[in-house]
Parts: sequence; structure tokens; C-alpha cells
Amino acid sequence: MIFVIDDDRIMAKCVARATGRDAKDVRIFGNVYDAINELSEELPEIIFMDVLLTGPDGFTLLNELSSYSDTAAIPIVIVSALNFAKADLSEYGVVGVLNKEKMLPEEIKEYVTKYTKRY
Amino acid sequence: MDTEVDGILVAAHELKAPLTVLRQLALTLDDTSMQNDEIRDEMVCVSERAIKQVNDLTKIKKLNDGLFEMEPVAVRGVCDDVTRELMYLFKFNRRDLFVKYANHSRLVTANAELLRSVVYNFLLSAVHYSGDGARAELNVSETRGKIKIAVRDYGPMLPSDVWREMKRGWVEKPTSVVMRPGSSGLGLYIASRFSRYMHADVGAVRHRDGSTFYVSLPVSKQATLWEM
Repeated sequence: MIFVIDDDRIMAKCVARATGRDAKDVRIFGNVYDAINELSEELPEIIFMDVLLTGPDGFTLLNELSSYSDTAAIPIVIVSALNFAKADLSEYGVVGVLNKEKMLPEEIKEYVTKYTKRY
Repeated sequence: MDTEVDGILVAAHELKAPLTVLRQLALTLDDTSMQNDEIRDEMVCVSERAIKQVNDLTKIKKLNDGLFEMEPVAVRGVCDDVTRELMYLFKFNRRDLFVKYANHSRLVTANAELLRSVVYNFLLSAVHYSGDGARAELNVSETRGKIKIAVRDYGPMLPSDVWREMKRGWVEKPTSVVMRPGSSGLGLYIASRFSRYMHADVGAVRHRDGSTFYVSLPVSKQATLWEM
């Protein structure tokens, strides 16, 4: 299962399609609360998330995920219009940063290929 | 930073978002021919919203020139028109929209084009500030010679900077883009400017589980035309 967190549903669907997975294997969340609730049901293989979200932002989720040993191991890719390219967020499990304005669908697929067992 | 430059930056930020989405959709269109129809619909949806926003921004200039005439406007007609247009967006974002008219439609003294934009931006804000599966409500009621159009959303609390602006009576300027998600409050700013032009009361109520935005307009003195 892959999680995509973005409050722009159309952008979230773009990311979900680019993963190359069936729709049933990708969960889309519009805010951090819904994603955290779902974490208690199922742990995703990888998370693609925006940072500036309605309600709590992406850093709230990063803090939450890094607080528990099981969720701390989930690879996270930040998909944002903000420039995080030089920020080292690896201690929060961030394995990559994609700029929404420049990213290509192939780059999303590459992260799925690299960080999940099944692709 | 002066208000005008800040306003331009916020508008640029808000318009950059649909362009970014359109770029992604265009790139996806090449890759997944199975979903081309769906992607094309999404491109149309994003484009139309952006065009609407640009149109509203150009109207702000016309406000200063006083180019909008006040006239008797049927509230129900305006609300029905906007809800029809936005229903697709509510469904797409998995939100429900409930519309309630307290009585027969009345005429208010307003400008139909501006009132339409006010209701549109309130509802667009409700889409943005609601959670998945949440509902939004459009209520039209009458109290003491005024018609109140209120949009209630159920979602994360309104950002405090937008709230402070609304509490003061109207939004002075769009809020800073520094730490703002997709919406910078530009829609609320536009709604506020248009309401003020029409001498309407505009405001917001913050609830534990969301917000209500409202605009109150005087009932037109012209003989009321009951709608169908």
C-alpha cells in the first residue's frame, strides 16, 4: 500500500497514477489527521506527502512517524512547491524531495521501485 | 512589504498552483492512455477554476471605477446557479453539499455578478477547508429586513490570521504566502471586497469543527417576485 497526502485532490491523483500501482493499492488523504488514523490500520510501504496542508502540516506527520519504531521505518518522499532540496530531513525518514513544479512522473515511479518490494 | 506587492505575490502564488497541477496532468496524459478521459476532465476543472479566479481579480479593478450597478437580485437564482456549477467539485473531492432555503426567495439589492462570486468563493473555501466525506451547508435565511447567505464547513479550524481579518469585518488583503497551503485566503479576500462594494455585512463564525462564512444583504424595496 502507498499513501499520498495532498490537500489538492487532483495533484494527489497525479502522484497516485505516477506510482504505477492499481488504484486500490494507493490511498489518498487530504489532511494529516486522516493519514494518522489510517496508520493504526495499515502501514504503507512508502508515503508521498505535501508539506503545506490544510490543518496540521507535513512536519506534524513527520514528527508523529518518527516517534514510533514501526512508522519511523517508512520511507517518505516530500512532494512540495517549496524548495526543500538542500534540507537534510533523513532523520525523519525522508528519502527524497520532489519539486511539484519540475517533477516528472518517472521520478515518482523510481522511488516506488527503489523503496518498495513490489512494483 | 506594501499591500499591493503582497497582494500580487499572493495572487501569483494562488495562480501558480493550478498551473503546476495542469503541468502534471499534461505529463500524465502521455503516459496513461487508459485514463485520458478522466485526466482531460480534471484539466478542464482546474482550468475553469483558475479562469474564474483571474476574472474575479480583474473585477477588483472595476470596483474602484464603480462599474457594477446595484439592482434587485433573486438570491435563490444565484445560489442555485453556483451550487449547480460547483457540485462536480464537491463530488470530486468527496464532500457533500446541502442547500437550505428558509423561505421563498427574496430579492436583495446587490449586483448579481458580484454576489455570484461571493457565494462561489465561500463554497470554494468550504471545499478546501473540509475533510474527506465532510459536508458543507449553504443556508439562506431572512432576519430583520436582511437576507443572510451562510456557508458552513466542517473541517480543520480556520487559520487564525484569516479569522482575525474576517472578525474585523472584512479581509484587508490576502494573507501571506509564507506558511499557507494551497489556498492563501484569496477567495475570501475577493468575497470580502465584493461584499463591501455592495454595502453588505460580511463575516465569519468559528466553530469547534469548522467555520461559517456569511454575507447579509438588504431586501430589495422592489415588489418581490416569487420564484418558481
